Order: sequence, then C-alpha cells, then structure tokens
Amino acid sequence: MLEALSYMAVVFREPWLIALVAAGTCAGVYVGAIPGLSGTMAVSLLVSFTFGWETHSALAVMIGVFVGSVFGGSRSAILLNIPGAPAAVATALDGYALAKKGRAGEAMGLATSQSVIGTLLGVLVLATCAPLVANLARNFHSIDYLILSLMGLMMVGSLSGRSVRFGLIAGCIGIFLGCVGVDGQTAIKRFTFDIVYLNSGVDYVVAMIGLFGASEALIQITDMAQAPVKQKVDKILPSWKESAKFLPLTIKSSIIGVLVGALPGAGGDIAALLSYDQAKRSVKNPTSPFGKGAVEGIIAPESANNAAIGGAFIPMLTMGIPGDAVTAVLISALTIQGLRPGPNLISQTPDLFWLIVASLLLASVFLLVFGLTGIKAFTKIVEIPKGILMPTILILSVIGSFAIRNSVYDIFWMFAFGFIGYFLKRFNYPIAPIVLGCILTKLCEENYRRGVMLEGSIRGMIGSIFTSPISIVLFALLVFLFATQTETYKNWKAKRDAKKEAAKA
Amino acid sequence: MKKILAAALAAAMALSMVACSTTGSSTQGQSGNTGSNNSAQSSGGSGAYPTQNVNGIVQWGAGGGTDSLMRPLSALAEKNLGKSIVIQNMTGATGSVATQYVYDAATDGYNLLMGAENPALYDVLGISELTYDNFECVYLIGDEVVGIVVGKDSPYSSFTEIVDAAKAAPGTIKLSTTGTGGLPWEVGAFITDVTGAEFNQVPYDSDASAKTAVMSGECAFTVCKVQSGIEDWKAGDLNFLCMLSKEPVEIMKDVPLITEEYPDFEKYLPWGPFYGVFVKEGTDAAVIETLAKAFSEAGPAESYQEILGNFNINFLGYTGEDAKNYIASWRENTVNALKNSGALEQQ
Repeated sequence: MLEALSYMAVVFREPWLIALVAAGTCAGVYVGAIPGLSGTMAVSLLVSFTFGWETHSALAVMIGVFVGSVFGGSRSAILLNIPGAPAAVATALDGYALAKKGRAGEAMGLATSQSVIGTLLGVLVLATCAPLVANLARNFHSIDYLILSLMGLMMVGSLSGRSVRFGLIAGCIGIFLGCVGVDGQTAIKRFTFDIVYLNSGVDYVVAMIGLFGASEALIQITDMAQAPVKQKVDKILPSWKESAKFLPLTIKSSIIGVLVGALPGAGGDIAALLSYDQAKRSVKNPTSPFGKGAVEGIIAPESANNAAIGGAFIPMLTMGIPGDAVTAVLISALTIQGLRPGPNLISQTPDLFWLIVASLLLASVFLLVFGLTGIKAFTKIVEIPKGILMPTILILSVIGSFAIRNSVYDIFWMFAFGFIGYFLKRFNYPIAPIVLGCILTKLCEENYRRGVMLEGSIRGMIGSIFTSPISIVLFALLVFLFATQTETYKNWKAKRDAKKEAAKA
Repeated sequence: MKKILAAALAAAMALSMVACSTTGSSTQGQSGNTGSNNSAQSSGGSGAYPTQNVNGIVQWGAGGGTDSLMRPLSALAEKNLGKSIVIQNMTGATGSVATQYVYDAATDGYNLLMGAENPALYDVLGISELTYDNFECVYLIGDEVVGIVVGKDSPYSSFTEIVDAAKAAPGTIKLSTTGTGGLPWEVGAFITDVTGAEFNQVPYDSDASAKTAVMSGECAFTVCKVQSGIEDWKAGDLNFLCMLSKEPVEIMKDVPLITEEYPDFEKYLPWGPFYGVFVKEGTDAAVIETLAKAFSEAGPAESYQEILGNFNINFLGYTGEDAKNYIASWRENTVNALKNSGALEQQ
C-alpha cells in the first residue's frame, strides 16, 4: 500500500506531469464537445506526437485527453441537442430539454459534478479490485454479450418518447443500417451494391452526427423566427443536499459504467444508454418526466460513461486486452514506448499502474475545474443568433464526419442522415433508437451467430445459458426487465398497490 | 463577449472552409489530371520527384500493428526523400477501402499504400477485384511467425493431440478465428490440407477476443502471432503448442516446430503475415526507385530495428523483384492450401 502511494506521488510531485494532465483534460473537453472529433482520434494523434517522449509524460497527457473527451460530449448534447460522442446520446434527451427551459447552466454543472464522481468511482474500482473485475470480464461468454445487447435493444422503449411504434420503426432502420457492409465473420458483402466504399459499412458516429447535428441545424433553420432561449447561469453547481439525494443513483449508474466499461466488447456508449434505461425504470418520481428535462436523465448516463473509463483500463492493464477504442490505442502507445502490455504488466511495472491511477485522479480534479469554469462561456453558444450558429454546426458536422476515416463518402452519409433525421423529427419520430440500433446490431448479431456456432444449434445455445452463473443472472435480469414492462405485470402491480393503500387506510 | 465569440466562430468557419477546399481541390487535381501528371513525371525523370509532400495511406487504424510499423519508418524515410510523408489512416473492410483509394489516385507516386498481407487474397475472398498484383511493392518490411496456442487449462499438450481429437470427432473441436480471410482461418486451412482434420471455426471480431476465447475455455485453440501472444505465454495464461516456422523463435526456443509433428507443413513455410509499402501499378520506374532507395536506407536503421524487435517482426527489407517474388509465392502457397482444404469452395 505504501509502495502504491509512493508510486502515485510521482505524479503529484512533478509539476510538468500535472501540467500535462491539465492541458490534456482541457483539450479533451473541447475535442469531446465537437461532434465527430473523438477522444480516440485525439489519443491516436498523440501516439505519434509523443513518440519521442518519455513514457510518463506521454501517458499523462493521453489520460487527460481521454477523461476530458468522454465528459466533453455532454456539452454539445445539452446545448445543441448534438451529442459530441455516442456516449452522450442519452444525455441529449434530457439535457437539451433542460436547455430549452433556460437551465443549460444547471445541466452542465450537474453533468460536470456527476462525471467527476463517476470518474472517481471508476478509478476506485480500478485501484482496488481490478483483478476481480478482470476475471468477471474474461468469463463473459458470447451468450452473455448477446443477452446484454438484447437488454440494450429493449431500450428502444425508453428512448421512444410518445409512441413505442414509432420508436420500433426507428430502431429497425438503425438495425438495418448496422447490417450494411462486409460481414466480419464470413467476408460476405451485404447491401453494398458492389460499391467499394460501402464495404466498410455505416459508421455510427457519422449516423449520429447526421441525425442529431445536421438535422437539428435544418430544423432550426426552417424555424428561424423562434428566438434563442435566454439562459440562467446563476445556479451552476448543484447543492450538497441535492447531490446527496441523487447519490444512490450516481453510485448505481457508476457501477453499471465500470462493469460494462470493463467488458472488452462494450464501452462507455452502451454503459451510458443502459444506465439511462435503468434510471428511467427505477426512479419513481423524477424531477420532470424523463425526456422532458429530468435531472436524473443527466446523472445516470454522465456518471456511467465516465465510470466506464476506469472500467476500460481494467482489461487493458490486467490482460493487455483493450476495454474500448481509446484503450486499444493506449496499448499500442505503450508498445511503442517499449512496454509489454499483458498479464505481467502490473507486476513488472507497478509504477506504471499507479501512474495511470494517479493521472486519472488528477484528470478528474481538472475536469471539475475546466468543466465549471467554462460554463458561462458555453451557455453563450446557445444565445448566438441562429444565422451564425446553424451554418457553423453544419460545417462542423462535415468536418467531423470526414475526420473519422478521412472519407468523403462519410460526408454524403452524414447529409443523408441529416435529411432522414429532419423528416423523422418533423413527423415526431424519435431518432435516438436509430443510433441505438446502429451501435447494437454488430454486438447482437455476431454474438448470436457465435453462440449458435459454439453450441452447434439454437437449442444448444439457449441451453448454454444455464451452464454459467453470469449467464443465469443476466438472463434472469432480462426476463425481469421484460416482464415488468408487460400489461399483466402492470395491472397486477396496480392492484397490489391499491390493496396496500386500502390496508393502510 | 458575444462579439468575441461570433468573431471566433467566424474565424473557425473561414479556416475550416479553407481546409475543406484545399483537400477538395487536391483530390480533384489528382483524379482530373492523371494523364498530364503522368507525362510530367516521366519526362521530368527521377530528379523531379518528389516536388511535394507524399501521402502514406495506412490500411489499418492509428495505433494498430500496421500503423505502428509504418509511422516510425516513414519518419526515417522522409529524411532521405527530402519531402514529408503525411500518414493518413483509412480503415474499413479489411483494408480494401484504402487499397481502392490509392488505386483510384494518379500513378504519380504521391500516394503510398501502407498495408499488411490482406490485399494479396482480396480477389479469392471476393473482398475486392484489386490485389497486390495491381500495385508495385516499394519496400517489403518483414514478416511474422505465428503459432498454435491453447489456454492454460487445456486438455491438449501437443498439436498432434488436437488433430487426433478432431479426427475422432470431425467438426467439433472449436478453433477461434478472426473471421473468413483472417489469420487463424488461413492457418486452419493449412492444417486441414496437411492433416485432414476438420474443426468448428468460430469467428471473433479481433485477434484479442479470439485469444480471450481460448483463455476462457470457450474455444479449444487458436492461431496467434508471437507478438500478440508472448505476454500471455510468459504469464502462463496461454501455451504455444508449436510454431509455423522453419527455425525456432529465439525468445521461445523450447516451443517445437510444426514440422516436427507434421513434416508435410514444410511446403507452406516460411509463412506469416507481412507488411509493406506499395504504389499503384504503372508508376514511373524512376519514381519507384527513388522511393525504394529512401525506404531501404531507413529500414536497417538501428532505431527502427529496435521497433521491429519489440514487435517480433523478421526483418526482410526486400525491394523490386525480391519483394515481388516473395508476395507471389506467399499468395500461391496460401491459395493452394485454401483450395486443397476446401475453404474456398463456397466462393
């Protein structure tokens, strides 16, 4: 333990490292806030940029960027209804609703404090029980990923808003788009019409930029008469009392975040969506209805997606297997630095493990600083005249979608999604389920097929659920989630509650 | 405040428009002026090339294996070239998006394809019409050794045991792969061709998850590059049963060679993933020579050899005919094995 503290102290003693984490976090917040510019992209740029640096400095700045960018996605989600990253899709639902009520400052303050708590809880798990969680992640079989993705798909109901039917249609569009491209398992082309540039499929970040960014700009442009909402910025930091009230939800969401983040096949985006769903089911009396500005709708995804950072480091540091896209890049950064990511990393270079933990801690402190100081300036963005703001958003959408793979075709995709999104929004279809479908198709389909291949038949696959404790728990959870949404259960529960009331009276 | 922000946004817009228009015009220029560029290059001779920065299009993601080999090499080669090599990652569809992009550009030597072995099999796998036959190899960096691995709790202690088990119950022993066309799938075809054993191939989305499937016991065995399995081997989580190599791997001397158990493998060896730098076919010979010179001076540099050592890459450093022959025989061996084992039947 003392040893650990001395390794961690290295970071706190070096002003240079502290400055690097701070600079990284600050840059990360802005990178994350711009749709299309992602933490993955920024960290991979840093890999070549920090090529000649000493390992500690290189890691410090990359970790800063990582933490900052995960949080930054919430900024544009709240202010513009354009999630800066897929992990902020859920935040946009209630965050933007709050901004429309003039409470963007409060929403951003809340997102900041929750992200900080989430990051800290994630780091705590990483520092104290990494091997335990790693073991869990390693024993996560194909069938378990399938169940997880089915849970995710059930969220179409949570994201649908008024009409589940519309939500289902949107979800199906997303799943269909997720099928486009060369199938990774058999190398067979689907819906590509022999166009090489369709082979790599639809990037769901491009879909997200188009559906949220471009379509929002189009909607606002056709709605020029509406004046921007004047934002209140007097109340930014949530009070202690308020934070304490929401703490149970924060902790629950962070646990979901760490666990999902630690799974090599699922990252912060899925964690945020799952915890939003969890909040919507479990919070009995939200401050406003979900989707209309519930603060719980910001707390859950924001604490979860930041807690997923600590989670993603767990398989990376204990097994050398990336927990998400950013840690995949970090692994190669370590390799280039001459280190050997793998099961021996922690025992051979304990200093490195504690350096990462300490940098994450520092980054969360700086997140608080940069997250809160920038709020007043950020709220001004919403007050910029639409004639300037909307074209800027369109341009950023173009740059962002091009930057993902340096492909001009992604810009066409982005505009196509923009128009689809525009019409869907005009006819009151929810668009979040499309992104959900795009994100989950691969996870769901590939694990289903793998599950069947492993057991030789569908019946064998279903049978294999009952051979592992993880699968049984997940399956029970899935059945529970499904059952509690049925009419029969709701009627039964209403009757039971009525009886209880009667007994009390 | 408002004014400042507005001004800043306007500036950002202007900048981004400039950025967009430059990329736009340069690509247009490349596709529109193919002919003239070409003639300018050939008449100008090698003295004229390069007059501008060169694009290095990497088939795989930033920070991946291919990328990590290409960036440091380019950093060294650009000093010899006199112009910068600007690396761009263009991922997607087993690298075929980048391959198509470089093929669609002019034959002026300003777009380099930086790739791994995959395009050599695009046509037989139906991924794309293009293969390395449509490109000239500027520099072949090196190749890697692969081995057969099982988890630490595996009941199999030798490769022969796996083959025997598979022969006793065909199609039941689970081999985790990275999908059709991936490394374990290819080696699976070799094994079937040489030994006659057939497996239940289960595809995963990356070599890391195929490896994890073996460690968790979901699958019986997989095929792994030395680079990606060595740390787990040192920790005792993975066990290398044998190497697909003619000579023992230095850091894993005790692991037997596959030819000790099945001498017929000899005809397919040496075999392994390779990495190289390419230009489109029809590029001026003088340009290729300039590039090859720049890269072959960079490859043997001590700092680069150290990187190759870290990745356990066998340095080859081939140019010209050597590189062409290497790729041709690699392709012939692989395609033969795929056909003999029946892996290509459905194509």
